[in-house]
Amino acid sequence: MALVLHATRTNKNAIKALVAAEYSGVRIEVSKNFQMGVSNKTPEFIKMNPLGKVPLLETHDGPIFESNAIARYVTRLKADNPLYGSSLIEFGFIEQWIDFATMEIDTWIAEWFYPRHGFKPYYAVAEEGAVSCLKRALGALNTHLAANTYLVGHSVTLADIIMTCNLYLGFIGVMTKSFTAEFPHVERYFWTMVNQPNFHKVLGDVKQVDSLPPLPPLPKQEPVKLKKEEEQVAEKVMERER
Amino acid sequence: MESEEGGMTVRVRESRDSVRSVAMLFDMVFFLLCFGFLWRIDLGSKRSRVADSMALVLHAGNGNKNAFKTLITAEYSGVQVELAKNFVMGVTNKSPEFLKMNPIGKVPVLETPDGPIFESNAIARYVARLKADNPLYGNSLIDYGHIEQWIDFASMEIDANIGRWAYPRLGYMPYIAVGEEAAISSLKRALGALSIHLASNTFLVGHSVTLADIIMTCNLYIGFSWIFLKTFTSEFPHVERYFWTMVNQPNFRKVLGEVKQAESVPPVPSQKKPAQAKEPAKPKEAKKETKQEPAKPKVEQVIEEEEEAPKPKAKNPLDLLPPSKMILDDWKRLYSNTKTNFREVAIKGFWDMYDPEGYSLWFCDYKYNDENTVSFVTMNKVGGFLQRMDLARKYAFGKMLVIGSEPPFKVKGLWLFRGTEIPKFVLDEVYDMELYEWTKADISDEAQKERVSAMIEDQEPFEGEALLDAKCFK
Repeated sequence: MALVLHATRTNKNAIKALVAAEYSGVRIEVSKNFQMGVSNKTPEFIKMNPLGKVPLLETHDGPIFESNAIARYVTRLKADNPLYGSSLIEFGFIEQWIDFATMEIDTWIAEWFYPRHGFKPYYAVAEEGAVSCLKRALGALNTHLAANTYLVGHSVTLADIIMTCNLYLGFIGVMTKSFTAEFPHVERYFWTMVNQPNFHKVLGDVKQVDSLPPLPPLPKQEPVKLKKEEEQVAEKVMERER
Repeated sequence: MESEEGGMTVRVRESRDSVRSVAMLFDMVFFLLCFGFLWRIDLGSKRSRVADSMALVLHAGNGNKNAFKTLITAEYSGVQVELAKNFVMGVTNKSPEFLKMNPIGKVPVLETPDGPIFESNAIARYVARLKADNPLYGNSLIDYGHIEQWIDFASMEIDANIGRWAYPRLGYMPYIAVGEEAAISSLKRALGALSIHLASNTFLVGHSVTLADIIMTCNLYIGFSWIFLKTFTSEFPHVERYFWTMVNQPNFRKVLGEVKQAESVPPVPSQKKPAQAKEPAKPKEAKKETKQEPAKPKVEQVIEEEEEAPKPKAKNPLDLLPPSKMILDDWKRLYSNTKTNFREVAIKGFWDMYDPEGYSLWFCDYKYNDENTVSFVTMNKVGGFLQRMDLARKYAFGKMLVIGSEPPFKVKGLWLFRGTEIPKFVLDEVYDMELYEWTKADISDEAQKERVSAMIEDQEPFEGEALLDAKCFK
């Protein structure tokens, strides 16, 4: 019985599990007719994940949510999977970079990406903070990748799969060439990864975003600057009278 | 092939002689024994084992909940982990040696015989794996999947949102009202889901404590201790049951001590006023609460410095210096009251009253300007430094400039101290001092003298650049 993954195929969190499955020789079916925002609100889905988030993997022994946990589980389905390294310390390093990819890279790319693409409210202060934290993290990653082809050891591990999927959102959504040029080793790493056959099968051709999406338009409550003085005075009078 | 132990060389020899075959057999057996011995001590072996008798060193401050995760895991697993001695948050983790271990300079970091590991969850996992077949990792593949699921949930859904609510209120991050609202809403959604799961499950996975429970509990600990009132958590009764059971398990208690639920929510920090360090304990002052608690949460996100209460000293050696013609308060009054013709009145007045035998002038230069990538964070850093200098108010005057029109911003300062050296008690009590390069100004050099004047009057452009901010300590 194949495993069923509930998510859209293009969801980068689903892609983590799909790429891991390619490397591990595990068959995963993406749920047919999955509709984001609809399928994950049904009572059956909520039973599987009370939080109602995706992706979610249905296994023989029960459902698993949280994209990194799903990817780990899939990886462990294959005994002695090289994706998990070949020693205890490699395991430690792989987990270290998985967590770094999540807390330091994904968190900040998301803070930057979602408001610019209209999924969350935009705040300049929050974006400034996010971009700064992201640069700090990419700087550290760049330092590591200057002397290391892969994150751990000498071949692709689960850390590379998760890191690449997290970077992918950045590269296609908010990180232009002029931004990433500051981190050349990260660039080398990313383009090498997405062109590996098992990645390419799932991701297809990856194109870096040309320019930062424009700021979303301001909400209607703040047109004060555009109004003429008289209208402003009239407004104040009306407010006082209310 | 060579065995490192005995320096013996083993060679496969061709032989038709029976005696030689026996010798070859001997060689093979010897080789296998040596190799087997090496394999045993090969630290890269897949065999999980309890760590050596030497304790592993964990770099973190006291009271860091991310360090607790590993310490509790170690208790359950029979692994020896000790906190690094003399670790100073914000100082030790900025040293070059530390950055070699973790290029992003965050804590905790575990030193192992095979190299350093960062990221608190990864460290906890590694420590758990040091014990073969550790029950903390469950008994089956699906258990493992579920443990990882709850570990990630504990980080992304619980910890992240608690952090966004608590840390701005505790002064570690800028406070944004809508940000807090969104965090609380996400947190409630997550706690709701968790409560449903714990309604019919004593533990997160299986029927005993696993690594997921350790990490979840440590993350909830920040919430319960600092910001969750009973009125808030009573909406999630199963989470309450779970949390109090966990923190009272012996291995948790050993590390956490007694846990008390917060009785008040820290107030929104006021933007302008510095902390009143010498005020008696008020229940409302959030910063005072931070100072009195022995266990403090550490932030691995935006700002890593913490406030410390300066201790008032009984007798100050600077009071014992021979009297000087310069009276610091007179200068401060002149500085503050001069509104126009600053250069002709205040600066001239400064040099007229300056006594190079009773006082000294110092330039300081922040050592880590490449970190100053966000304007308000940089200004907060300087603000924090000036707050900590409060204990020197009677003996010092300073100007701190944040320079540049775009990041990274440079932080430079000019300080006037009583005495001809930087006061020792300042170096001892104010840890920010180590973060700057200090050079005594030589006022016989016209250029240096002019630089002093320029810094006192906030000259712009300063050394060719715009000033983002200028703060005065007086």
